[in-house]
Amino acid sequence: MLDRFTKIALILMLVLTASFCIGSYIGYMSGSEMETAYVVVMEEAAVAANVESKHIICGITDVVGEPVGFTIAGIVAGFIIGYCWADIFRREEDV
Amino acid sequence: MHISDGILAPQWCLAWFALAIPLIAVAVWQIKKCTKENPSYMPILAMMGAVIFVISVWHIPVPVTGSCAHPIGTPMSAIIVGPFATVVLSALALFFQMFFAHGGITTLGANTVSMGVVGGTSGYLVFLLLRKAKMPIWLSAGVGGSLGDIMCYITTALQLALSLNPSSVLFHWALYSAGFLPTQLPLTVGEFVFTAGIVQYIADRRPDILKGGVPSA
Repeated sequence: MLDRFTKIALILMLVLTASFCIGSYIGYMSGSEMETAYVVVMEEAAVAANVESKHIICGITDVVGEPVGFTIAGIVAGFIIGYCWADIFRREEDV
Repeated sequence: MHISDGILAPQWCLAWFALAIPLIAVAVWQIKKCTKENPSYMPILAMMGAVIFVISVWHIPVPVTGSCAHPIGTPMSAIIVGPFATVVLSALALFFQMFFAHGGITTLGANTVSMGVVGGTSGYLVFLLLRKAKMPIWLSAGVGGSLGDIMCYITTALQLALSLNPSSVLFHWALYSAGFLPTQLPLTVGEFVFTAGIVQYIADRRPDILKGGVPSA
């Protein structure tokens, strides 16, 4: 049986994932690239000023790919948030 | 906010580091002091650090503009753990985000200033101001979150304009801000909702951990 915290976390995750999928789907269906807006502005500004955007430090996502890299980051951050949240906010009636 | 390496001129990278480092030093001193007084401050900081890390790489699709962008989370953190601690947390979050191809090592100072200093502090000040005007906690926090988000992107636009277009800073500041805002404005609604929701939740459940504006339990 799931406790109240886990139930709310799972519902929140499903709602957010669904809304992101729907938003992305609508965007792609209307012919947009759905690129990150600030990256587009930054890259265009750099090209216009004749400088080159780069990453000096090799990213984890460059090695394992974005889905795997961000899944690992999400799991680690989720454990920290969940562990501390339960520690700080949990009450007897929530269990 | 994640300006990549190579975009800002070296003198501007140094200038933003020069601004960020003293603030980080003060914040570390303050965190040590708070932790000594209240050991339960550390898990709250750990949680807020993880929250800032996740929220500020959360690319939310905005179908209206055909693009995506991310909220920043630092106004919420500033309201909960204080603006100084938020500077350290955002510097740490930005440091780890470098390994996920977000931001860069040379622009860490600039990104810390826009996201941690300006984003966090402006959101916190708006929250305090609205609380003084007897606005409800959720509304004060939500508006603080939204305005902090916008201020962060406006600061990034200024950082780009100062470095890339020194001869026409004002024009390019406005131009880059106008480039950010169509996608960022709808996202401020999201920043409003989660900042308002989480701060109100904490105010109801553990008002003692909120800094400033909210009475202790």
